[in-house]
Amino acid sequence: MWLQIKRTIKFAINNIAHNYWLAIATIGSIAIALFIINVQIANLMANNLLLEDIQNKVNISVYLKPEVNDEAGREIARKIESYPEVEKVNYVSKEEAFEKFKKDTANNQVLQEALDEVGDNPLGITLNVKARNSEDYPKINEKIKQDTFQDKIESINYEEYKGIISNLNEEIRSSQKITIILAVILSLIAVLITFSTITITIYTHRKEIEIMKLVGGSNFFVSAPFVWEGIIYGVIAAVISTAASYGYLQYIIKNSSDGSLLSLSSARFIKQFLETYLIRNWAIIILSQLLAGIFLGVTSSLISIRKYLKI
Amino acid sequence: MIKYHKVSKVYSRQDKAVLKDINLEIQEREFVTLVGYSGAGKSTLLKMIYAEERPTSGDVYFYKTKINKLSRRKLPKHRQQIGTVFQDYKLLPQKNVWQNVAFAMEVAGKSEEEIAEDVPQIIDIVGLKNKSHKYPEELSGGEQQKVALARALVNRPKILVADEPTGNLDPISTWEIMQLLLKINEYGTTVVLATHDKDVVNRIARRVISMDKGKIIKDDAHGRYCI
Ligand SMILES: Nc1ncnc2c1ncn2[C@@H]1O[C@H](COP(=O)(O)OP(=O)(O)O)[C@@H](O)[C@H]1O
Ligand SMILES: [Mg+2]
Repeated sequence: MWLQIKRTIKFAINNIAHNYWLAIATIGSIAIALFIINVQIANLMANNLLLEDIQNKVNISVYLKPEVNDEAGREIARKIESYPEVEKVNYVSKEEAFEKFKKDTANNQVLQEALDEVGDNPLGITLNVKARNSEDYPKINEKIKQDTFQDKIESINYEEYKGIISNLNEEIRSSQKITIILAVILSLIAVLITFSTITITIYTHRKEIEIMKLVGGSNFFVSAPFVWEGIIYGVIAAVISTAASYGYLQYIIKNSSDGSLLSLSSARFIKQFLETYLIRNWAIIILSQLLAGIFLGVTSSLISIRKYLKI
Repeated sequence: MIKYHKVSKVYSRQDKAVLKDINLEIQEREFVTLVGYSGAGKSTLLKMIYAEERPTSGDVYFYKTKINKLSRRKLPKHRQQIGTVFQDYKLLPQKNVWQNVAFAMEVAGKSEEEIAEDVPQIIDIVGLKNKSHKYPEELSGGEQQKVALARALVNRPKILVADEPTGNLDPISTWEIMQLLLKINEYGTTVVLATHDKDVVNRIARRVISMDKGKIIKDDAHGRYCI
């Protein structure tokens, strides 16, 4: 058995050497298929990071009245933090708020002077409320407004943010949808191209398949060389597409803020994606590339050889 | 060793029978020539020996086994016991002479040692010793047919099926191939040769089976071509 397997590998290499143009075409189409799939996956991942990032930045600021003291402020913070939708409440004391305000307006001479004149701290406590899920902000907003401490609240900045938050949520979601649809379509096209290339390869070998069967070659013996061919094509294509995808993503990072194929995601997120995700998971990525390449090569070989094995 | 028992054949999508109730026996070591016009059914009859076609009714035996009942898994082993040569040689274009002959042994699972020993020997027998590294396209028709013959014989088959092997060859090559077939037969291999070359049939003067329109019309032990 081992001898026969060795022989089928030998035949596969022989086939490739004799039809290297077809081999190049096949490898090329598998590599392009993988490349397109890779770029689409990178795009999706980067979009996810973007979404996460935006969600991290969004929060509701609750401004308490200046007369509310530290103890009461902390009590309110604890109450809000106990809402199931709330992830965290960031407590900004009067003093911190004042310092920050002074810093922010440092180059505004008039304001600085006015502040000095007042002498006293006119600002109240600020509570920055962070939701577990950005869709919960309206609910949190309502809860805060109806809670027992509502008379201690000066204002909530949610109303002014409201539009922006829901718009962003929607935009990201729809762009994500488009990207997924695009990815599926492009990947399908690429896979079809691979299939037809390999079908052509096997069609050119149909006479040989017939002869092999005639001499007494078993189905295993006849089809195994084509399966090996598929594996070899898949491996080479995976190496090429991995290198090409990495190069392309690097290029995007260096040369533009909105990559052509990478719609919404900005270069920064692709970079972040490359740095965190890719580098940490390189072994899995290379393995999955190889598996995808081999899968493409082998299944299309098997599917297209099947009809010649019947005789 | 080969027996046709009430064999009829109708190709699908055709209503006319190509073979009609054929009964025929071929003994070991025989040299049988099958003659008849083109379309008489000679190839169809031969295909049943190496199981490329199955009878619509009736049975074809190889010794005790019914060839037409062989499962798809057993076909390769069966074919490895039968040598075949054809008008169009059916060589693998990407393999040289040596590789084409060795291929039949590789398929049959022979060891590398056996291959290294038998392949040069059979190439020598068909007279292509100094061409074993040529590719089919670099050879004449006669030489290609000798390669095909070498490949058919290298596994020492009990029977050689030759379907118009000289159909594309000049008279000299034709005669060389015929000499080889006779020699093989002398060494003990049964030969079944289909041809419509009158000269060939008359010169070898062996058992002649004449076919017409799917029927055997004559079976002579030392026949002549007479259609
Ligand atoms: N695969 C096939 N399908 C349909 N008809 C066929 C097929 N092979 C042969 N025939 C028909 O069967 C008849 C006999 O063919 P064949 O056995 O090749 O005769 P011969 O070898 O004597 O010329 C012919 O009429 C031919 O057209
Ligand atoms: Mg014929």
